[in-house]
Amino acid sequence: MDNFGLVLLGMSCITFACRFLFFYKKLPFELGEKTKLALSYTAPSVLTAMWVPIVFLSYQHIEQSFFTSPFLIAGLLSILLSLKFKSTLLIVMVSMTLFITLQLTY
Amino acid sequence: MLDVIPVSKNTTNNINNRQLIYQASTAILPLAIAVIPWGILCGSLAIKVGLSPLQAQLMSLFIFAGAAQLASLTLLGTSGALSSILSSTFIISSRHLLYSAVFREHVRNSSMMVRCSIAFFLTDEMFAVTCAYLERNKSFSYLYALSAGITFYLVWNCSTFVGIVAGQFIPNIEDLGLEFAIAATFIAIVTPSIKRFSTLMSVLASGISVCILSITGIEHALIIATCIGMATGFLTASKDKNNG
Repeated sequence: MDNFGLVLLGMSCITFACRFLFFYKKLPFELGEKTKLALSYTAPSVLTAMWVPIVFLSYQHIEQSFFTSPFLIAGLLSILLSLKFKSTLLIVMVSMTLFITLQLTY
Repeated sequence: MLDVIPVSKNTTNNINNRQLIYQASTAILPLAIAVIPWGILCGSLAIKVGLSPLQAQLMSLFIFAGAAQLASLTLLGTSGALSSILSSTFIISSRHLLYSAVFREHVRNSSMMVRCSIAFFLTDEMFAVTCAYLERNKSFSYLYALSAGITFYLVWNCSTFVGIVAGQFIPNIEDLGLEFAIAATFIAIVTPSIKRFSTLMSVLASGISVCILSITGIEHALIIATCIGMATGFLTASKDKNNG
């Protein structure tokens, strides 16, 4: 990896800058209500854009049909669990157990 | 007498501080345990795309952003350009802008050192438990925030290390489906955050568009879908009150 140093430096700077920006004392601007509103949709949007392909499109890589894919079935279970329970650990462990069980049985 | 009082006060402070550190670490521990499979995946995938064990660990030590690390490793695997790695890092990390804006009023008068440390350890999980603390106690504690952040950092780096070691001995560890743990974690974070109609719309828009974009093989699906999701949420925000 020739440009690994650049990747590491660039990514470290970007992630730190995003986390630090509003801790900077002499910030020349304040966030307007509209910007804050727009930013409040970032976390749900970006996290969804990451979990949806894992749950719904992973069947393409594992020689399973869409409906029998462990990713889909266990993913739907975690959605159901997350409607009822708040504990991340519980949701991850229960659905991961189903996921592994399905993978082993196929 | 005058000498005794500060000492006894210090001792209580020490005990309170220790309790606070203990509370913070136990609050974030379940979330930290849930990301262990993800850390293992990051470590092993880094080895698979050709990074040295040291380089793989350095990513977790310095970048400390699971989603961004994983996306960049996927891009490195397909020999993606530096510019696309950095732009996806920015999009994925941009949610931290909001977290930092929320904490601003609480930390703006702290020392540079404290602000830098809180920023460095600021993750989705640390933000979540610190906000819960803020709500309970009506006051911000940088000790609580930092203890939670550092606990998470340690677990994240240890699990990356396990992934690096395991990745060298167990071939195809990334075929085990460890990424499913990521999906489950994100679902567990996103679902309870949907309290408004507009958030639901932004999640639906982002999810549907990422599928369409990925199936049609359009590049930067993640970035475009995120922007569509944000725009949808923003544009439907006016409907929130009508829908409770």
